[in-house]
Amino acid sequence: MGGHLEKRRSRGLNGHLWLLLPAALLILPFFVWPSVLIIGKSFSGDTGPFEQYRIVFANPGIRTVLAYTFYVSAVVTGITLVIGYPVAFVVTHLPKKIAAICVALIFLPFWVSTVIRTFAWMIILARKGPLNESLLAIGILSQPLRLLDNGVGMILAMVYIQIPFMVIPLINTMRTIDPSYMRAAAILGANPFSQIVRVYFPLSLPGAMVGSILVFISSLGFFVTPSLLGGSRTMLSILINQQASRLLNWPLASALATVALVLTAALFLIYKMVRRAAATSGGIA
Amino acid sequence: MKNEGVLWKILRLSVRGMTMLLLLAMLVPLAIIVILSLSDQSYLSFPPTAYSFRWYRSFLANSDYQSAIINSLTIGVSAAFLATVAGTLVAIAVIRGAIPGKNLLSTLMMAPAILPQIILAIGLYPISVLLSLNGTYWAVILAHAAVSIPFPFIAVCGALQGYSDRIEYAAMSLGASPRQTFRHITLPMIGASVFSGFVFALAFSIDELVLAIFLTSPSTRTLPLLLWQQLNYQVTPEIAAAATALLTFTLLLILSATIVRRFSQQKYKVSGA
Repeated sequence: MGGHLEKRRSRGLNGHLWLLLPAALLILPFFVWPSVLIIGKSFSGDTGPFEQYRIVFANPGIRTVLAYTFYVSAVVTGITLVIGYPVAFVVTHLPKKIAAICVALIFLPFWVSTVIRTFAWMIILARKGPLNESLLAIGILSQPLRLLDNGVGMILAMVYIQIPFMVIPLINTMRTIDPSYMRAAAILGANPFSQIVRVYFPLSLPGAMVGSILVFISSLGFFVTPSLLGGSRTMLSILINQQASRLLNWPLASALATVALVLTAALFLIYKMVRRAAATSGGIA
Repeated sequence: MKNEGVLWKILRLSVRGMTMLLLLAMLVPLAIIVILSLSDQSYLSFPPTAYSFRWYRSFLANSDYQSAIINSLTIGVSAAFLATVAGTLVAIAVIRGAIPGKNLLSTLMMAPAILPQIILAIGLYPISVLLSLNGTYWAVILAHAAVSIPFPFIAVCGALQGYSDRIEYAAMSLGASPRQTFRHITLPMIGASVFSGFVFALAFSIDELVLAIFLTSPSTRTLPLLLWQQLNYQVTPEIAAAATALLTFTLLLILSATIVRRFSQQKYKVSGA
């Protein structure tokens, strides 16, 4: 009677490997192969394997793009954290049903194409767009702000697009914080301010870390928004695209892509470590 | 002390109020596009001075948009189907199966969602040429399928972790074959998550731009790519009409996945899946 059970258990390793076949047929040729191909191509050049990397790190134009990409990603991460933290805090402590609606609201724009969301910001931020018009009408401004060609509009639009990646991990962490810690701190004489700063905030740090890393990683590779709203300043993805499709300099494009790939992989490893650490400490608490 | 309490209350209320404002602000950009799509003007200006459906009519009559919509649906449904089959089977292997390297395997399954698409795009372009797939539907379908595996994978992993594998062992110890167990126990339990994984993969493919830029030809051009080209060329409210159509379609997809999942959770009383 229990024959199948025994068979399933004893088949062990080889019994389940076929389950991986369809995924292997997709992931190996269409994800692993292109990644390996790019890394390989990045080490090609007339004067030696590291020629492209010398160009990447010596060319002042490319260095500026790398620095600017880091700068934009850091600013976007900082702003989303400052906006996202109080939002996550409020949503976490709302009644369950209302919180679910709020989470759905936060996630709704996430499912709308980045092209469309960026298009919306092109309209909002235009010289005669609704933002400038209403600020002029109230009298805050005497002349319209220029937002479309100096990176400000791009950062605003990126913050809007990245908010869900920050808020959702924060809410997940904040939900695990036991409210009795706060009560204990209150009984021991902590005022609401120090309850938040000295008890709540440290406990919510793993969520803030996870959210920040996710936002930073995805900002590094942003393409659509910088192309449409970035003005004259160039981000890394745009440079890779220019080198590959306009200048047909595939080795240099590959070296730039490898730099992005290594950075992303390193940040992703940190992300996994933070999540694992958070999971184990959450288990103890 | 009393003063401090009042201050604290004011602070708490203002943070709460600002949060609610911000949540509503998340919808403003989407609302602006919908309003703009109803404009009667021949150029973009906000707010429109007159309203009509003329840009919807022109969008629906435009053969470029018609073929782009058909391409997006063909590519999206095929890619989502492949990703769902692959992602579901791996999820079963990782959560229920006896295979080595589960940790590494789930990281590999998640990786396509993390890697910037431009990297994959410039790596995939020469491969699609090499396999003589370039310009065909398969180039985009296979790329989108590989990149959207994480959606069904995560959804099904969640569903499988939501109930004990003892239910499956119980069925088998009562004489059900592995196939019968899968058909009558596992599939009903994970069905809603398989469906929502499919929907999320479909929504991803229908919105994806960067891979489409590199892997499509004029005859396989997708809707986001057409929108992108229009935005870089000539901006009329027609784009807003097309964007509203795409937006409505994606949101209906997500809504259907949510409803199916809610319904199935009630039926099987699975929590947290």
